[in-house]
Amino acid sequence: MDFDLTDEQRQVRDEVRRFAENEIKPDATEYDTEEKYPREIVEQAAEIGLTGANIPVEYGGVGYDTLTNAIIAEELFAADPGIGLCIQSTAFGADALVGFGTEEQKEAFLEPVATGDAIMGAAISEPDVGSDVSSVSTRAEKDGDEWVINGNKMWITNGSIGDYFVVLCKTDPEAEGRYNGFSQIVVEADRDGFEADKITGKLGIRASDTAELILDDVRVPEENLVGTRGAGFLQLMQFFDETRTGVAAQAVGIAKGAAERALDYAEDREQFSKPISEFQAIQHKLSEMHTQVEAARMLTYKSAWSVDNEDDQLTMLASMAKEFASRVAVEVADEAVQIHGGAGYVNDFDVERFYRDAKITQIYEGTSEIQKNIIARELLGKGMT
Amino acid sequence: MKVLVTVKEVTAVDDEFEIDGLGIDDRYVTADLNEWDEYAVEEAVQLSESLDDVEVVTVTIGPSDAEETIRQALAKGADRAIRVWDDALDDDAMLDPATKARLLAAVAEQEDPDLILTGVQSADDSLGATGVTLADQLGTEWAAVVNALDLDAQAGVAHVHRELEGGVEELTDVELPAVLTIQTGINDPRYASLRGIRQAQSKELAEKTLADIGLDATALDSPIEQTALYEPESEGGATLYEGTPEETAGELAGLLAERGVGQ
Ligand SMILES: Cc1cc2nc3c(=O)[nH]c(=O)nc-3n(C[C@H](O)[C@H](O)[C@H](O)COP(=O)(O)OP(=O)(O)OC[C@H]3O[C@@H](n4cnc5c(N)ncnc54)[C@H](O)[C@@H]3O)c2cc1C
Repeated sequence: MDFDLTDEQRQVRDEVRRFAENEIKPDATEYDTEEKYPREIVEQAAEIGLTGANIPVEYGGVGYDTLTNAIIAEELFAADPGIGLCIQSTAFGADALVGFGTEEQKEAFLEPVATGDAIMGAAISEPDVGSDVSSVSTRAEKDGDEWVINGNKMWITNGSIGDYFVVLCKTDPEAEGRYNGFSQIVVEADRDGFEADKITGKLGIRASDTAELILDDVRVPEENLVGTRGAGFLQLMQFFDETRTGVAAQAVGIAKGAAERALDYAEDREQFSKPISEFQAIQHKLSEMHTQVEAARMLTYKSAWSVDNEDDQLTMLASMAKEFASRVAVEVADEAVQIHGGAGYVNDFDVERFYRDAKITQIYEGTSEIQKNIIARELLGKGMT
Repeated sequence: MKVLVTVKEVTAVDDEFEIDGLGIDDRYVTADLNEWDEYAVEEAVQLSESLDDVEVVTVTIGPSDAEETIRQALAKGADRAIRVWDDALDDDAMLDPATKARLLAAVAEQEDPDLILTGVQSADDSLGATGVTLADQLGTEWAAVVNALDLDAQAGVAHVHRELEGGVEELTDVELPAVLTIQTGINDPRYASLRGIRQAQSKELAEKTLADIGLDATALDSPIEQTALYEPESEGGATLYEGTPEETAGELAGLLAERGVGQ
């Protein structure tokens, strides 16, 4: 058993931290208030390889394993969750292409993301489809050598700024079994009939772009189908453990960012003629926050390590990590605001933003309730129903 | 062409700290690559990108703990690194500039670089003398506090700008081989890319003892010895003017005139 990071992982962590401190932190409030996409920062991040960190080396990326990607997520989100998500989400959906794409698809769609020339997204949720992914109703019908796609996709990260999306569609409604008959199809944003409506007024991660996609008779060539026709849901499921571990790492970053800021503030702020960090009530809060961060990190690292080494134990661990770390993010951000008092209630201090940002980690990539369903299902030895 | 860059791991001290013997208590310090050296490394890497066949070699004097910091330069594009260390060197003892220059000069004699870049100074000791002392010991040309470099590799001449006191800039030509001490701001140091960090893991980082560079422990003999470390007494006394720029500028001017600073 070895809890040490490798030299390389430490160097990655330190350099990403430097980048995040200098390039992300100073402007985070502005992008949050204006709900503006940080294009320049994402471009800079692409230059040092952050947008292609998990894309294989053959396709222009760095090919880092899940643990190293978790370390990167933690550092980016500790600086700013909104901008951190913008950087990490440029490759949303890429895992399907890595796992099941043809050589031509990988070259066409992965390389531009790794080099920062394109942004992609994963479009699964719909206005009436959230936790129950198997009820996806967006329809793709074959017409000659093209797919014709109709339907709406909701809450799509990078929706109004992305270049292409891996869209989960129903291709074979007559297929037997709840999980069959779906396919993943790449849809480019410049196709006729593609429209994106930016969703504004989000509680948190406001730098990140979220949109509704309206697909109205969008035609794409048949080569845009990823993997096996009819197996789209099962293909998607293969990466849930990995993507959930990724969100757990985001949550660890948010919790760490909030806990560090709370510690700094507590040492600085004086009341009753001494720093508030001298009060035991505040000391206990800080102790609990930092302990929770460490516990969440360990669970997340174990899940990430399992993705790379031991995937038998993975599904339950990934859901545990995601559920626990996101809860820690919300609780720690809450306590961080409390330690800041009134100052934490306005955006002069970052913790106000972290408090709002933390919540998303309990919602996307499977809500906390769904994670608990999965953990229980695994505990009770029930299969998927 | 070969460029040798001297790099140093420096310690940054927290605002609040405690002194432990001749140093700062470990709990209050963090290690990082010296800021000036970052600019020197960047300058060398940029040369290697704009000219053909340039090898960038870094050299440091430091214990094995410093390797992680030294790899930063490799991750940013240096080709290989040399680390000088020896049992005769004590972790905590201060090395004066002449001693450091002796060790670095021994490495330079083995490597035979066309150009040596150093930082103007190191962020912890801030003596600002190692680079020029090195040039003196090697008997080469030198220019200190360089904030612009235009290298004519063919002619073997470095056209440099030197930052002098009072905002004066000196333009001068230095014949190679030479030592240039590099000032911050000369370029915009890059971040190490993830790819660079990955590649750096397999780049050569050679450890050399005093014997390996043709010296023995007498090279460490120094007339300078650190005898104490203490924090100077600090006095409060900041005056804060509040109000519009028009009002506060007038108040400040009044104070300066009163103290005899301005006329
Ligand atoms: C900012 C943002 C970005 C997003 N990005 C993307 C994206 O890029 N791509 C994408 O496809 N989607 C994206 N989503 C959608 C996200 O994945 C869904 O919101 C999430 O899966 C929950 O679905 P829902 O909102 O429909 O909630 P619902 O499924 O309607 O859930 C409502 C409530 O009911 C609970 N619930 C539902 N089913 C059960 C059950 N079986 N047992 C117990 N409780 C249950 C839920 O836990 C929740 O508390 C994003 C969402 C947001 C807000």
